[in-house]
Amino acid sequence: MSGPLIALGIIAVVLLAVVFVSSLSVRGILMDPQQYMVAGRSFGPFLLWLLMAGEIYTTFTFLGGAGWAYSHGAPAFYILCYGTVAYIISFFLAPAIWRVAKKHNLLTGADFFATRYGSKALGVIVAIVGFVFLVPYVTLQLSGLEILLHIAGYGSFNAAVAVSVAFIIIAFFVFTTGIRGTAWASVAKDALVLLGVIFAGIVLPIHFFGSPANVITKVLQQQPDYLTLPHASTGLGTTWFVSTVLLTSLGFFMWPQSMQAIYSAKNEDSLRRNAVFLPVYQLMLLLVYFAGFTALLVMPGLKGPAADQSFMLVVQKYFSPFTLGALASAGCLAGLIPASAQILAAASLITKNVMGDWLGIATADRERTLTTRILVLVVAALSLFFWLVAKSSLVGLLLMGYNGVTQFFPGVVLAFAWKRTSAWGVGAGIVVGVAMVAYLSLTGRSVFEGVNSGFAALILNAIVCVVVSLLTPAPESVERGASVAA
Amino acid sequence: MTTRIILAIIPALALTFAIPFVDSVEPRILGLPFLVAWIVAWILLTPIFMWNVYRLEQKS
Repeated sequence: MSGPLIALGIIAVVLLAVVFVSSLSVRGILMDPQQYMVAGRSFGPFLLWLLMAGEIYTTFTFLGGAGWAYSHGAPAFYILCYGTVAYIISFFLAPAIWRVAKKHNLLTGADFFATRYGSKALGVIVAIVGFVFLVPYVTLQLSGLEILLHIAGYGSFNAAVAVSVAFIIIAFFVFTTGIRGTAWASVAKDALVLLGVIFAGIVLPIHFFGSPANVITKVLQQQPDYLTLPHASTGLGTTWFVSTVLLTSLGFFMWPQSMQAIYSAKNEDSLRRNAVFLPVYQLMLLLVYFAGFTALLVMPGLKGPAADQSFMLVVQKYFSPFTLGALASAGCLAGLIPASAQILAAASLITKNVMGDWLGIATADRERTLTTRILVLVVAALSLFFWLVAKSSLVGLLLMGYNGVTQFFPGVVLAFAWKRTSAWGVGAGIVVGVAMVAYLSLTGRSVFEGVNSGFAALILNAIVCVVVSLLTPAPESVERGASVAA
Repeated sequence: MTTRIILAIIPALALTFAIPFVDSVEPRILGLPFLVAWIVAWILLTPIFMWNVYRLEQKS
C-alpha cells in the first residue's frame, strides 16, 4: 500500500470509530433542548474536564502553537500563560454563572445577558456578536484540518475535498448527539492528542538531537535571543505579551461554547475542581513548542502560514506513513471536536435568542431541538463556504475572535460585581468594543505601541458600560445582589 | 475571602505582570531557559495554590 493510502486510511478509521462509539452515548436520551444544548446539566468533574479540555485544545494547540514557536520563538509562550490565568479566573466566575444558569434554565451564552439584565434585545445583540466571531473560529479548525490532510496525503490529492467530507460527517454527528457527543468524543480525542503531543515533543527531539534540552541549546546557539521576548518594536515585546495574556485569559470562558460547557456542569463543585486541576493540561503546550523548535532546526526556512505545518512536515519526511497517519488523526480530532462544540453553540444562539426570543419562532421544546439541529447543518455549511472562499493564518484569526468575544467580559463580571449595571450600558459597551476591534483589525492599526488592540477596546468598552449604566435606570434584575463568592 | 483572593492573585501575577522581570535565558533550569522554567514552575504551582483556595471555600 502506498503512503497516502495508509496515512489517510488511519485517519478515516479513527474518525469513524470515534463518531460511531460516541454516538452510542445518546441512546435512550430524549433530546429536548436542555439535553441537546447543555446535557441536562448532568456532567460531573470527569466529563466536564473532557468537554472543556476538548473545546480548548484545538488544532491551534497542535499546529499553531508549534508554528508560533517555529516562526516567533518566545512570544509563543503566551499560550502557556493565558490558559492558566483563565482557569484561576474561572474558579470564581464559573460557579457564579452556573448558579444563574441553573436557576433560570439557561441554554446559551446570550441567555445569561438576557436574563441577568432583563433584556431580550441585549440577548439578541450578544447572540449575533457571538455568532459572528464563532464562524471564523470554525474556519480556523478547517484550515488546520486541511494542513493535516494535505500532509497525510503527501500532497497527492486536493485536501479541500477531504476536509469537506470530514466536516460534513461531524456536522451530522452534532445533529444527532448534541453536546453529549462532543463530551464523549473528547475522551478519545484527548487521549490521542496527548499521545501525539508526547511523540512530537519528546520522541522527535530525542530522535534528532538526543534530548529536548539539546534542542534548546541548539536553538540558542543559532539565535541567542530567540527564547526571550523580542524588542517592543517587533510588536511582540513584553507589553504585548502581558496585555495579550490578560485579554485572552479574560476572554477564555466568554466564548459561547464555553458558557454552554459551564451550564452543562452537574454542580458548582465540579466547576471548582476543574478550575483547580485544568492548568496541568497546559503543560502539553510545552511539548508542542519542543516540536516546533525541533522542526526549526531540522527544516528551517518555512515562512508565514507554512510555519504552521512545520513539525508535521518533519514527520512526513522522516517517519513512516503509520506514524504520520496516527499523528494526523489526533490532529484532525483536535480540529473536529472543538468545531462540533462551536457549530452547536452558534446554532443554539440563533435558535434560542434570535429566532425564539426575538422573532417568536420555534419556542416549544420539540420545534426548538429540531430547529437547532437544522441550524447545526446550516452553520456547518456556512463555515465551509467561508473557509473555501477566504483563508488566513491560524493565530491571526484566533486573536481576532478572542478580541471580539472578550468584549462580553464586562457584562459578565459586572453582573455580579455592580448592581447598577444596566442592559443599555452592557449593550453600548459591547457595540463600541466590537466596533473598535473591527476597525483596528481591518485597518491594521494599534492604539498604543505594542499593546494588544483588543485590550484597548476592552477598556473603552468597560468605560462606556459604566457611564451609560449611570445614565440609564438600574435593571429590574432577578439576580440583583448575587455575589461571586456567595 | 481576602486570603482566598490573595492565594489566587499570586499565580495570576506571576504569569502576567512578572513576566517582563523574568525574561531571561540564564540561569537555565533542567535545560529550559529561565523564562520557560518560570512559566512551567508556576503552572505546576497554580493547582497547589488553587487547591488551598478550594479548601478554604469548602470550610466557609
